[in-house]
Amino acid sequence: MSKLSQSKRFGRAAIATSVAAGLVVSGLMSSSIGTANAAGPKTGGTLILLEHTPKLDHLDPSRIYTGRDLAFENSFFIRTLVAYTPVPGAAGAGLVADLATNTGVPSNEAKTWKFTLRPGTTFEDGAKITCADVKYGVSRVFATDIITDGPAYLQQWLDLGKVEYKGPYAKDTAGQAAFDKAVTCSADNRTITFNLNKSVADFNYLGTYGVISPIQAKLDKGDAYDLRPQATGPYKIAENTTNQLKLVRNKKWSKASDPIRTPYPDEVIMKFGLDEQVIDQVFLNDTMWNAVNFGGPLPANKDAFFQDDKFKDRRINTSDPYSRYLAFNVKKMPCLEIRQAMYLSRNSKAILDYAGGSFFGGTYSTGSISPLLGLDYTPTKVVGPGSADFVATGNVVKAQELMDKAKTSCPADHKKATVDGLVIDVSQSSTLQDTIPINTAAWARVGIKVTYNIIKSGYYSTVLNPAKQNDLSNSGWGADWANASTVIPELFTLEGGFNLSQNGDDPAYKEFKAAVDVAMKTTDRAKQAAMWKALDKTAMERMWILPTNYGKSQYIWGKGVGGAFFWQPQGTLAWGKLYIK
Amino acid sequence: MINYISRRLLYAAVILLLVSMAVYAIFQFLPFDPAALTCGKNCRPNLIAANRVRLGFDKPLWEQYWLFLSGIFVGRDYGVGSAAFTCPAPSLGYSFRQNACVTDLIQQALPVTLSLAIGALILWLIVGIGLGILAARFKDSPIDTGSTIFVLIGTSLPTFVTGLLLLIYLTLKNNIIPLNFDAYVSVFDNPSKFFMYFLLPWITLAFAFSAIYTRYTRSAVIETSGEDYIRTAWAKGLKSNVVLRKHTLRAALAPLTTLAGLDFAGLLGGAILTETIFNLPGLGRMSLKAVNDFDLPVVLATTLLAATIVVVMNLIVDLLYAVLDPRVRVG
Repeated sequence: MSKLSQSKRFGRAAIATSVAAGLVVSGLMSSSIGTANAAGPKTGGTLILLEHTPKLDHLDPSRIYTGRDLAFENSFFIRTLVAYTPVPGAAGAGLVADLATNTGVPSNEAKTWKFTLRPGTTFEDGAKITCADVKYGVSRVFATDIITDGPAYLQQWLDLGKVEYKGPYAKDTAGQAAFDKAVTCSADNRTITFNLNKSVADFNYLGTYGVISPIQAKLDKGDAYDLRPQATGPYKIAENTTNQLKLVRNKKWSKASDPIRTPYPDEVIMKFGLDEQVIDQVFLNDTMWNAVNFGGPLPANKDAFFQDDKFKDRRINTSDPYSRYLAFNVKKMPCLEIRQAMYLSRNSKAILDYAGGSFFGGTYSTGSISPLLGLDYTPTKVVGPGSADFVATGNVVKAQELMDKAKTSCPADHKKATVDGLVIDVSQSSTLQDTIPINTAAWARVGIKVTYNIIKSGYYSTVLNPAKQNDLSNSGWGADWANASTVIPELFTLEGGFNLSQNGDDPAYKEFKAAVDVAMKTTDRAKQAAMWKALDKTAMERMWILPTNYGKSQYIWGKGVGGAFFWQPQGTLAWGKLYIK
Repeated sequence: MINYISRRLLYAAVILLLVSMAVYAIFQFLPFDPAALTCGKNCRPNLIAANRVRLGFDKPLWEQYWLFLSGIFVGRDYGVGSAAFTCPAPSLGYSFRQNACVTDLIQQALPVTLSLAIGALILWLIVGIGLGILAARFKDSPIDTGSTIFVLIGTSLPTFVTGLLLLIYLTLKNNIIPLNFDAYVSVFDNPSKFFMYFLLPWITLAFAFSAIYTRYTRSAVIETSGEDYIRTAWAKGLKSNVVLRKHTLRAALAPLTTLAGLDFAGLLGGAILTETIFNLPGLGRMSLKAVNDFDLPVVLATTLLAATIVVVMNLIVDLLYAVLDPRVRVG
């Protein structure tokens, strides 16, 4: 995910989800494929990635969660049980076996999943990858005090009974025994079996994450493993300093054992901590022909890149996988009419224009599921374009009607909204000073008063704490894989990892939750997709979130780089397909 | 002299102790939970509680401070079981954001900042003092006018603008100085690469500082030139450069020592903008990242380091001052 203003607005954690994809709405993906070099890919050379942040969030496969970082590491040095095919378009969302010989075999109503390891795969030190290594890698994610930030699905889904496993670092006999039952290895140490506490029809998609990847116990250094993880892919880390991450070829990797990766450059070097303006100037002046902007151009420079034909083969402007929204804290704002009035009176057009309009900023949301989740997506027709009451600049008349109704149906909440004022949690960002007045003025048109609680650090750990969350919380979410099973349950059920709506007491919740449970068990993908669409519609009808927009991101690269295309399931470039012309 | 130095060192130790207490206390009263900053989206109350124990934030404030202080002398252990590790003395803590002992991080960053500050200091002293003397010597001449313009531009342009302009026009557009995003190289390992690595950052910093020093030197030299003892020197028939070198400059430049010492100390604390623009992995960039990430051990360590540098530089300046100005006596 690019480090543009949009990302900054939401902070790291929510955007810290990998992406979405599936069958993609082609119209949204305009100009997402760069022009390929007619001569075709070449091997050799050094690929330079220029990055603004001082380092990547993590290198430890168990701790990676952002789609961009996952794509980078998976392309070059971390292999997982299954992976996405790095090809342009919708085909890129298909799962293929990576370290495994298959994409997972479910049984017991998808409560049991088996993966058999491919022969001939090794770590960079030549050690053979075994089931025990994968199992050890899985066990690490339970040491949540040390192995932080990775996806938490394994903790939710592995069947450990009522035992709370503390991971492999602590002396935890009972926990270890429960874990050993939940994850087992075959006698030949090649087949790993996951026993889940519920049916998860798409568990194998979690296999694209590093949380299910091999790690040698003897080389594990806990927190410090993040600095120098053992490679299993075609490159290994030669240098990781405050200035750069340098990858060189992993001589123990064998192409015969890897059906996905086609390494081209001899070396890949990521330069950290560069000033964003300097990065843009490097490309505007064609100074580093073999470089790629790992983030994206500054808003002020986007026109320079996208209006100039010089860059027509070296740029991508595409929809990103994130759905932005303000989560209503339903416990604090139980009045549906007021929630609806807030949605309708908001000036969506002014905010989108501020973000760069439809060309750079994105489109108005039509639900909580991103259009990039093609199969699971359909406009709910409850919110956004296509819905009866949506007016981009705000439907003040309808919103006022709802507020008038709320005055009698929920007078206490009405007083709170119009007299006391509502409090909105937002993370500190450079755009706040411009967007706050736009929103405040829009809601003032129907008498709603708001104040902003600007959280400078630890945003998500604050708002995810029910005791600290205010009336609304700004957020964004992208599916972890090509299934809304990583959207709807995560955002709208109490068991979900990112429920900011606190909607457990909503009259519609019980029925909604039952429907989610059915959808989670449904292995017929088309039927399941229909269920997610219906549940998205319910969530919008109940206005558990105030959806704002689906964003866009931009990519720029030097004239000596070929093979760039947008990798839909990871929501970023397919880094492993880049080559030096 | 020895007594004086000993006494100053003792004062310095007390000041640093007080600074460390103050900084430690300030972070305890900031309105956020440092344990909650360690686990991102997956932060749950039980995890925050576990991390609080792991990082030692569950202990009383005095004990936390004592652990920090004792760590400087005896090192410090972190974690439990097979994930346990030690930051050896002198330990300034462990950064869970950067997965490294803070002392190691400082050891990597300090040479970069030191190289930047020393090179810039030499450059700005040569240019600033040289131009200032010329402007004073040839007062109201085109040289003086030129120096005034230089001072005006130098003091008006912030370093991030100067740095960016130099980078764009000397490197990116015209390739006069090759683009260099490489890692830091020591002057002892590769002198030519070292100089190319730091040339633009030195010029950027020196441009701003030398403008100030030019103005200061010019004024001081003109003012000193009007003193009675300078007139006496002229009356004795001394040559002009003897009057300038032995009598005028010695008096005029002594106060510059204080200024240079403090400016140098400030730079050692980190030239944040210059380091950011030129991607220098020094203390300034490290501090900035630490502040943005609320990486408290790093912020604490860099603050203490900056305070130490200021205290030590003050001591050095005072001692130098005594050497430069015979009117000052120590003892």
